[in-house]
Amino acid sequence: MHGALIDVENLFKHYPPDVKAVDGISFEIKSGQIFSMLGPNGAGKTTTVEILEGLRNPTSGTATIFGIDVTRDYSEIRDKVGILPQNFEPFDELKPPEAVEYWAGLYDKKMSRKDIGRLLEKVNLTERKNSVSKKLSGGEKRKLGIALSLINEPEVLFLDEPTTGLDPKARRDLWALIQDIRKKGTTVFLTTHYLDEAEKLADDVAIMHKGKIIARDSPEELIRKHAKLTVIVLVGVGPDGLKEIKRRGIEATTEADGDILVPVNDPSDMRTIFQKLSGIELKVKDMYTRRQTLEDVFLDLVGAKMEEGDLKP
Amino acid sequence: MSRILADIKGFGRQYLRSKVGAFFTFAFPILLILLFGAIYSASGTQKVSLPVQNLDGSSFSIAYLNELNNTTLVTMKMIPADANITNYINDNSLSLALQIPANFGSKIADGLGSNYSGPVLVTIYGDQSQSTFGTAVAAVEAASVSFNYNLSRTLPLVAPGPPQGLKEGYKFLDYFLPGVVGITVMTNSLFSMSTICAEYRQRGFFKLLATTKLRKYEWLISKFVFFSIILILSLLTTFAVASAAFGTHSTITLLALAMIPAGAFLFVSLGMLLGVAIKDPESGAAVANAIGFPMMFLSGSFFPLDMMPHFLQVVATALPLTYFNNGLRDTMVYGNTGGALVNLAVVLVVGLIFFVLSSRLMSWKER
Repeated sequence: MHGALIDVENLFKHYPPDVKAVDGISFEIKSGQIFSMLGPNGAGKTTTVEILEGLRNPTSGTATIFGIDVTRDYSEIRDKVGILPQNFEPFDELKPPEAVEYWAGLYDKKMSRKDIGRLLEKVNLTERKNSVSKKLSGGEKRKLGIALSLINEPEVLFLDEPTTGLDPKARRDLWALIQDIRKKGTTVFLTTHYLDEAEKLADDVAIMHKGKIIARDSPEELIRKHAKLTVIVLVGVGPDGLKEIKRRGIEATTEADGDILVPVNDPSDMRTIFQKLSGIELKVKDMYTRRQTLEDVFLDLVGAKMEEGDLKP
Repeated sequence: MSRILADIKGFGRQYLRSKVGAFFTFAFPILLILLFGAIYSASGTQKVSLPVQNLDGSSFSIAYLNELNNTTLVTMKMIPADANITNYINDNSLSLALQIPANFGSKIADGLGSNYSGPVLVTIYGDQSQSTFGTAVAAVEAASVSFNYNLSRTLPLVAPGPPQGLKEGYKFLDYFLPGVVGITVMTNSLFSMSTICAEYRQRGFFKLLATTKLRKYEWLISKFVFFSIILILSLLTTFAVASAAFGTHSTITLLALAMIPAGAFLFVSLGMLLGVAIKDPESGAAVANAIGFPMMFLSGSFFPLDMMPHFLQVVATALPLTYFNNGLRDTMVYGNTGGALVNLAVVLVVGLIFFVLSSRLMSWKER
C-alpha cells in the first residue's frame, strides 16, 4: 500500500521439506501505530519479524520499511530501526550503563554519562545501574533490552514477545513503557501471544495462525466482528438447565468448564433476556455478565484456546 | 574502527569479569610455573632416592657406597641388614633399592689376589618402567667403573669432561616457560572462542549483534586484538613470576611478543571455526577439550618431542601448537631467530586459513 511505513506483500518462508513458516502474508503498517501480530507459538510471528529485521531471507515476496527492501538494503535503514529480539538476554557481566555504552558504540554513537542516565531513567532502571545484568530480574532485563533498542532513537521499534515469562507487574510496567514510546511518535511492531496485551496496547492487530494472517483490524473491530459484545455467564446450571434455556428460545453455549454462556448481541436486549431467564427454574450458583475479549475472537476464528507456549484445543 | 574499539571494551569487561576468563589468562600459567618450578627447581640436581641394604659391612663395601654417593645422582638411605629386602620393599612401597651382598668384601679381596672368579654382583631392585630406575642403574654403573679403576690401579684413557650446557645457567623452567605460554594462548583463544561462539548463538547474541552496525569481520578482529593484548600481558606476568621466583634465564624478545598475536590469531580463528558447527556451550567445551588436550601433550608443551615415539613425533608436525611452542623456544631460549621466523610464518599461514574459513562459514543470521 502506498504511504505505508512497513509494507509486506505476498511473503513466503518455507523450510524443506514442507514447513510453511510464513505462507503468503501481506500487510502494511502506518506510521505512529502500535501494530500487534498475535498468534500462538509456531504461528510464524517471529519468522515474519526477523525477515523485517533483516535477520532472515524470505523464500519469496517483498518486505519494505520506509520503501527500502529489507532483504537487500537493510543497512540503509539500520539507523532508523530498534529491535528487541525474542527471549532477549543482556550480556551477563555488564552493568546497565556499560551495556548502553557498549551498544551505542556498535551504532557509532557517542553517549555522555548524562545521556546514558536519561535513557536508563526512561526505562526505569536508574536504581539498578550498579548491578551486573545477570542479577537483574526478568522484567529489568527486558527493560534494559528496550533501552538498548532505543539507543539510535528509532522510528520503528520491533518488540518480539517482550513480556513473555514475566510476572503481571513487570508486564504492566512494560506496557506503560511501550505506550510511552508510542506517544513520542515511534511506530511499534509488537508480536505477542498474550491476547490481553494486544488488546491493551495495539491500534491494529493481525492474528496469525499456521503462517497465515487469519484476521486483521483494530482490537475493537475484531471483537465487534467476531465476538458477541457481552455474554451472561451462568455457573452451576448443568446440561438440564442448558436444555431448558434453549427450549425457551434463548441462544446459549457451554464453556469447557461447564458454565453456560448466553450472548447478548445488542445491549438493549439485556433486560428481555434477564426476564426470560428469571422465568426458568434454574439452580444457579452464580450469574454475571462479561465483556468478550480478543481471546473469544481467537476462539471464534480458530476454535482453539491460546495459552502461553501452546495452542490447546 | 570505533566499533571495533567499542566491542573490545564491551567484550573485555565481560570476559575479564567472568572468573573463568581471568583465571585461565593470568592465574593458570602462573600456577603452572610455580608448580613445575617447585617440582624441578627445589630439588636442584633432581637426585633419585636409593635405599641401600649393605649385607657386607667391610671397608670395600663402604668404599663402594662412597663412590655411589660421588656420582651425585642418588641420595642413599640405609635398609637394616637383618630385613628381608623383598618384604621391606613391599612394606615400604619402594620403587628402587640396592643390595650389596654379604660376600662383597671377601670376594673382592679374593679377586685382587689370585682367586678371581668373576665380578661381585650388586642387585638393583626396581620398577623398570620408571625413569628413576634408569638413573639408579646409571649411578651404579658409574660407581662400579670408578671403584674398579681405583682398586685395579688402571689409568682411565677416556673420560667425559665437565658438562658444558649449550645455554649456561639455563634450567628446565626456561624450556618449560614457552610451553606454558603456548598452553595459555591456546586455552584462552581456542577454548574461549569455541564456547563463546556456541553461547552467542544459543543466547541470541549473534542475532542481536547482527542488528547493530558491527560487521562480522570487525567482531573477529576485535576478538583477535583483545586476546592478543591480554595474552601479551599474561606472558609478561608469567615471565616476571618465573624470573623472580626461580631465576629463569630465557628472554622476552620482540619475536616472542610477535608470536603472541600470531598465536592468538591462529587459535581464535580455529575456535571460531569450531564454533560454526557447535550449537551449545557444553558441546563447545567438549569439542575444544577433545582437540586442545591431545594437542597440549603432543606438541611439546610439557616435555621435549624427542621423548615421544617416532609416529607421535610425526603427528606433532601436523599440530599448529608445535610450531608456536618451537617458535617461542627458538627465540626465547636458543636465540635462533631464523627458526623462530619460520615457525612464526607457519603459525600465520595456518591462522590465515582458519580465519578465512571461519569468516566464510560463520553466519549471524538464520537461514
